[in-house]
Amino acid sequence: MDFNPCMKHKLVRRTVRDFSEAELGPIAHEIDRDARFPWEVIEKMRGLNYFGLQIPRKYGGAEVDSISYAITIEELSRVCASLGLCVTVHNSVGAQPINSFGTEKQKERFLPPMASGERIGAFCLTEANAGSDASGVETNAVEVEDGYIINGTKIFVTNGGICGVALIFATVTSGTDKPSTNVFIAEKDMPGFSVGEIEDLCGMRANPVSSLFLEDCRVPLDNCLGQSGSGIKIALTALDSGRIGIAAQALGIAQGAFEAAIKYSKERQQFKKPISSFQTIQNYLADMATEIDAGRLLLYRACALKDGNKPFGTEAAMAKLYCSSIATRTTNLAMQIHGGYGYSKEYDVERYFRDAKVTEIYEGTSEVQRLVISRAVLSQHT
Amino acid sequence: MTTMLKLVTCIKQVPMVSELPWDPRTGRLKRNLAGGMINPACRHALEAALILKNTHGAEITVITMGADIAEEVLREALAMGADRGILVSDPKMAGADTLATSLVLSKAIKKACADFDLILCGCHTSDSETAQVGPQMIEELDIPGVTYADQLDLNGRLLSLQRLSDNFIETLEMELPGLVTITTQKQAPRYVPLAGLQDAFSQTDIDRLSLADLDLDSELAGAKGSPTKILKVYSPTATKDNTVLKGSARKIAQQLFDQFDDKIGGAIGKDIKNYQERP
Amino acid sequence: MKDSRNEIWVFGDYRNYFQNRVTLQLLSRATELAKDLKASVCAVVFGHDVDEWVNEYIAHGADRVLVIDHPDLKCYKIETYVNLMIRLLGEQRPEVLLVGATNFGRDFAPRVAKRLKTGLSADCIDLNINEEGLLVQTAPSFGGNILAQIITPKYKPQMATVRPGTFQEIPHDYERTGEIIRIPMPTDLPRERVNLIRSERSPQRIQRIEDAKVVICGGRGMGSKKKFKKLTELGKLMNAEIGATRPVVYANWIEPEALIGQAGKHIQPKVLFAFGISGAIQHTAAINNAEFIIAINKNPNAPMMAMADIAIVADANQVCLAMIKELKIRIRG
Repeated sequence: MDFNPCMKHKLVRRTVRDFSEAELGPIAHEIDRDARFPWEVIEKMRGLNYFGLQIPRKYGGAEVDSISYAITIEELSRVCASLGLCVTVHNSVGAQPINSFGTEKQKERFLPPMASGERIGAFCLTEANAGSDASGVETNAVEVEDGYIINGTKIFVTNGGICGVALIFATVTSGTDKPSTNVFIAEKDMPGFSVGEIEDLCGMRANPVSSLFLEDCRVPLDNCLGQSGSGIKIALTALDSGRIGIAAQALGIAQGAFEAAIKYSKERQQFKKPISSFQTIQNYLADMATEIDAGRLLLYRACALKDGNKPFGTEAAMAKLYCSSIATRTTNLAMQIHGGYGYSKEYDVERYFRDAKVTEIYEGTSEVQRLVISRAVLSQHT
Repeated sequence: MTTMLKLVTCIKQVPMVSELPWDPRTGRLKRNLAGGMINPACRHALEAALILKNTHGAEITVITMGADIAEEVLREALAMGADRGILVSDPKMAGADTLATSLVLSKAIKKACADFDLILCGCHTSDSETAQVGPQMIEELDIPGVTYADQLDLNGRLLSLQRLSDNFIETLEMELPGLVTITTQKQAPRYVPLAGLQDAFSQTDIDRLSLADLDLDSELAGAKGSPTKILKVYSPTATKDNTVLKGSARKIAQQLFDQFDDKIGGAIGKDIKNYQERP
Repeated sequence: MKDSRNEIWVFGDYRNYFQNRVTLQLLSRATELAKDLKASVCAVVFGHDVDEWVNEYIAHGADRVLVIDHPDLKCYKIETYVNLMIRLLGEQRPEVLLVGATNFGRDFAPRVAKRLKTGLSADCIDLNINEEGLLVQTAPSFGGNILAQIITPKYKPQMATVRPGTFQEIPHDYERTGEIIRIPMPTDLPRERVNLIRSERSPQRIQRIEDAKVVICGGRGMGSKKKFKKLTELGKLMNAEIGATRPVVYANWIEPEALIGQAGKHIQPKVLFAFGISGAIQHTAAINNAEFIIAINKNPNAPMMAMADIAIVADANQVCLAMIKELKIRIRG
């Protein structure tokens, strides 16, 4: 078992890091402060295949292995978590479900513009009354002659403000059949599909998270994803693989905060010594290093299973659970190490602190991850 | 019918300086801790080659002399759009100064890409910074060459170059085949696309050349083939006896100009003594 | 059997005379080295209408000057100059050949060294003669953070390039005499394959930052584009050029031409102000030749502070504003 990264993965890390530091680094503070989505760097990211990471070559994607994917998301998030989020949601839960469950015609239609980043994807499950309980979605779809008419409101949609393609989870109520959840592909300029206000969030502020309104939105049959009634299955499959992306994102946030803490502790002097010479700080740094390393290994193990076409849902849940918890813990410690300065917006660490928290909430709360893991544990052990 | 331009770009793997931990007390760099990267000027040379490939159509061969780990820079160049990678590697090549390096690289190019049209090199490296390998390859290959070019324009076999050389703005022309060294002024290098990176590992093999492949006497390569010998290597003492000023910005500015009015005033050509009565 | 001369040759790089006095600086160093070697100093000049420089070189330490003066040599042409130097070196083999590390010198010297298969060190910051009578060349790498002492024990001439400003020139002595040998321009040189279409002095902008006596460099520590712009105001008061570190250029606080660093410009001012710069090596590599460094940074342990002659522990932005105010009071008129 070789734990050393191969040359390819080393290069993926370095090249994405070069891009992130040069292009995202200088603007990360400002776009968080102003809650601005930086279209100017999106153009550059498109040319580097970041929007086609998990899309097959024949549709214009880069089709990278899962570890390369995780490294890319981690390195983007290490500098700017909001953009790491944009890319992972677009890839894992925007494009991948279409790739896994779509017809060839749908793939040919939707995937190429998504791979090039011309159309950014969004995943619309959450509603005011349906968070962890996916089966409780109230957005409804009524079957008509050549499609469905959809009504409802989706909230907290990542990439909502800029998406070109949105996967809408809706309950189909059709007469005698019991209600089932279906997935519909809504497109930006469809009549009846509109974007609500951008949310004013604690963190991930440069990501245009918003509500989406569907008001008698007519969706043709060609835009129905997967078999009727397969909505839950699609959601769960998407979230399984989305976990890898979020774990990578959380890891990146932790890594960025950790590096800032090391740098600060070497420069900051108190009692005529750098604070890195004090045992308490050293203990904190040791814990952070260990936990980040552990998170990384959990994540890559899940990636390896996925690439080997083996079941990976539980392991991905473990990675997401753990990486998100160390993200909050690490950023908290990093801010503590920065002392008063850490509380000021003059330093980046408070942004990492604010960005970290949501990784324990979205794409399956930590409680839901524990549900997944414990089910596996209980079913495996007699 | 035009034949494809054959371009060769020489690149060097240098320590990744931004990673080098710097010990402020001794002023030393912990060199052994850094990974490698493409030398910045070589990146610009590669970018110039890629631009030529775009406008004229070309096959780009990238070549590096180094240890096995130098393969990394070749893969990265392939990811950006180079077509072929050559690693010139042999333990006997170690310790080469620029004379030996230019000989080995020239022989390698003659072996692997003898019908080259243009060789592009970075103007200097960020580690040894001699800027000598380019000009010495020009001599070894006995071809026309121009150093420190900012801009290239190719018309058929005529290459036109612009550069700023010691305060002189120069335009030069030469016929291919030739060699140019490129500065870091223009052609900002591109980032590495991830699809290209995947392909660089899955679709292309790196060719390897050893000393034997080059038909080169080992006396002419590596440390043996280097007329210069290193007596010793050291870090200069970094501790400066410096003056530290603290306090309010206003007091600092006053102190600065009071204590150092000769030095600063002399340099800026103005009298900055304080002649006024100050509270 | 070739004639071996106990001489130190200095290439007469004259075309930028007033800004760049490297030949004079090298002549003065050569004079010191010549004492250790019991040798004499010889300047070599290729050009047109060069008598003025020839006399300067004698006044600054040359015992002998070899001159090839011809209209074809009005502009520096690399292949011709290399061929001429090789011819001269073939006939008279000096111990040492020193070349200024100008753009031209850094192209010319390696080609000459390669033809003769001799050793060459670049950008030497010091030259000495050791007990064996060999030239010890102290050459930098990593922007001067690592130094190497190098010798060329077996080949002649021992060659080195040296950056302008490294050595001090000795005051001229117009009473000095020296031998001037005018060599006719050979008529059988190979055709120059590189055509110099145009070579014009670049119009004097206010000044090039590489030549500026005072430079003000700003880093991320300035805080914002608006605050960074204040450095320009300070620069006007000080006749200083403004430079910046990479993060500042990337953040678009200043145009890319202002980048001071390994991938940008190298400077050697008399006085350098470093505002809010931590001192990443890609930047410090390009400022090693600054004579006097004043660094302003909130962090007393930033590497830039260790390099500085004056380390000011304060907010860079506030010190900039205070300096502007203070200078306005002090500078008369």
